[in-house]
Amino acid sequence: MQLIAFRVFNHRHYGTKLRGNNDKDYIGSLKFENTGITMGYEELFPPANMAWSGHAAKRFGSPFVDVFTDRIDVDPIILSHAAVATGYTIRDFYEKPELGIHCVSYISEMYDLLPVTHWFFSLPWVTELGLTLEYKETLPPISTGPIISEPEEVDKLEVASMSDLRKGWTYPMYKRIYDYVGANLAQTLVPISYGFDLVGAPGELCGVENLIMWTFTDPDVVDKLIDVYVDTSVNGAKCMAEDFGFAMLIVGSVLANNDIFDDASVEKFSAKKMRDYVNKSFRGGAGPQLFYHFCGNHETSYKVFKDNLVWSPLTVTHIGYSGQNVFPSDVLRQEFENVTTCMGSVDTKLMINPNPVKVYEQSKEQLLKGRDSKKGYILGSSCECPPYTIPGCMHAMVKAAQDYGTYGTW
Amino acid sequence: MVSYENKAILEERGIKESDVEEVIASGTKIKNGASDVLSKKRIGDVTYYAMANGDVVKTAYSHKMSVGAVVNVQSDSDWVCLKCNEAAKEGTADVEYMGVSRSGPAIVCPKCGDAWVEEYLATKTVAVAEGLFEAKRA
Repeated sequence: MQLIAFRVFNHRHYGTKLRGNNDKDYIGSLKFENTGITMGYEELFPPANMAWSGHAAKRFGSPFVDVFTDRIDVDPIILSHAAVATGYTIRDFYEKPELGIHCVSYISEMYDLLPVTHWFFSLPWVTELGLTLEYKETLPPISTGPIISEPEEVDKLEVASMSDLRKGWTYPMYKRIYDYVGANLAQTLVPISYGFDLVGAPGELCGVENLIMWTFTDPDVVDKLIDVYVDTSVNGAKCMAEDFGFAMLIVGSVLANNDIFDDASVEKFSAKKMRDYVNKSFRGGAGPQLFYHFCGNHETSYKVFKDNLVWSPLTVTHIGYSGQNVFPSDVLRQEFENVTTCMGSVDTKLMINPNPVKVYEQSKEQLLKGRDSKKGYILGSSCECPPYTIPGCMHAMVKAAQDYGTYGTW
Repeated sequence: MVSYENKAILEERGIKESDVEEVIASGTKIKNGASDVLSKKRIGDVTYYAMANGDVVKTAYSHKMSVGAVVNVQSDSDWVCLKCNEAAKEGTADVEYMGVSRSGPAIVCPKCGDAWVEEYLATKTVAVAEGLFEAKRA
């Protein structure tokens, strides 16, 4: 199936549509071809363990309210691994988001992880700005263009309004997902709006190579392109806040990292834009929860964030790598513990290495470096855990949190 | 003697006129380019704000979190601290509620270290955060 979007500039209407021959079959249910039986996704899972949910929710809240529970929480950023571990495919996870998010909830209980259900991919809102996305068997949806190939075209690109977004593809999908969670997994419901990668997603609109080149040749064009994406994402957050009363914001600096940009460019094109995104979203009623995700290499660029970002009372900050190594939790703590809960990283590469003790040792090292963070600590992976993560490796992360995930010396 | 542009908002937000008048009379103040003066005062366990232009109160709001020391000073704002006659900035300040200390966005004076929470934050972001703290600490 392919999602087709039409980009039309200069105040003309644009819209999105799904093209496929079985659209109705997968909206909210699964059809078994051999029997013709259709089951709602919620019927595919045993009931949630509410005692676990209650305890996990307390544990999740503990770093924010200083009421410590049994141990530090673990959030390996599970996405399509949840579908794979439940017997579905990577494509199922993205193509059937209600199924995907139910898998996340179910698998989080199985592994004893942070209990907030989430579902996302890195390109929200781009269909409303003209890109076509295509589902793939082993990847999240990818862009097939059409890209903006000339800097002059950027001037014609318009912010998608709240009304545009409500008629588009991304927002109705998220609305559907959280309506499903509210109806079936209410104990895990935290409506989340994704600004996600405020440089990477605009990069897809014009092609990443063009974006990088334009940062040197036409920086004002890059500014404008990012601003359009930021303001569209803000409107997405405002829709979510309007419908659900609040909206956690997840925003990151992924493409803007030290493998590609110097610190000044990360500050200009990423940190300051994230500030703008959060400020405007807060003004629209979104927040108060914030998750900053700095994936990729932030060996020196981590220093540009503290004095540029908005810090709410319920903020988590996560950094993936320093060079080729996981970002050390003691540096994370030193830089950010006064303003945010810190989320340390275990290298995602280790999660597919059939050597759980390596995961255990690295988890232990990060926990010991980060667990005394003033505003709490969460053990994460450096980015999304791989779809084929070895369950034994996941267990090693959790076991390390059980053994060393205490706050202070208790 | 003050008059009110929108008295209904006081009732909606559970704010007494006497508190508004006390805030205006003795609160700390910042002023923006449109000559709006935002006054702030902690009365009991609540921080009250009143924004007035001349003798007309345009809005009033409150939050329960207490605002503490400035954590960092970030970008320019439209406000000037009237105590120091210094440009106030957007920044981050410590906030405390129910014994929990966290950080929050605020307008801060780099000179005297005072901090003010704007209306959109107090009535939405901070209000939801206070509710979550109350639920989690319960």
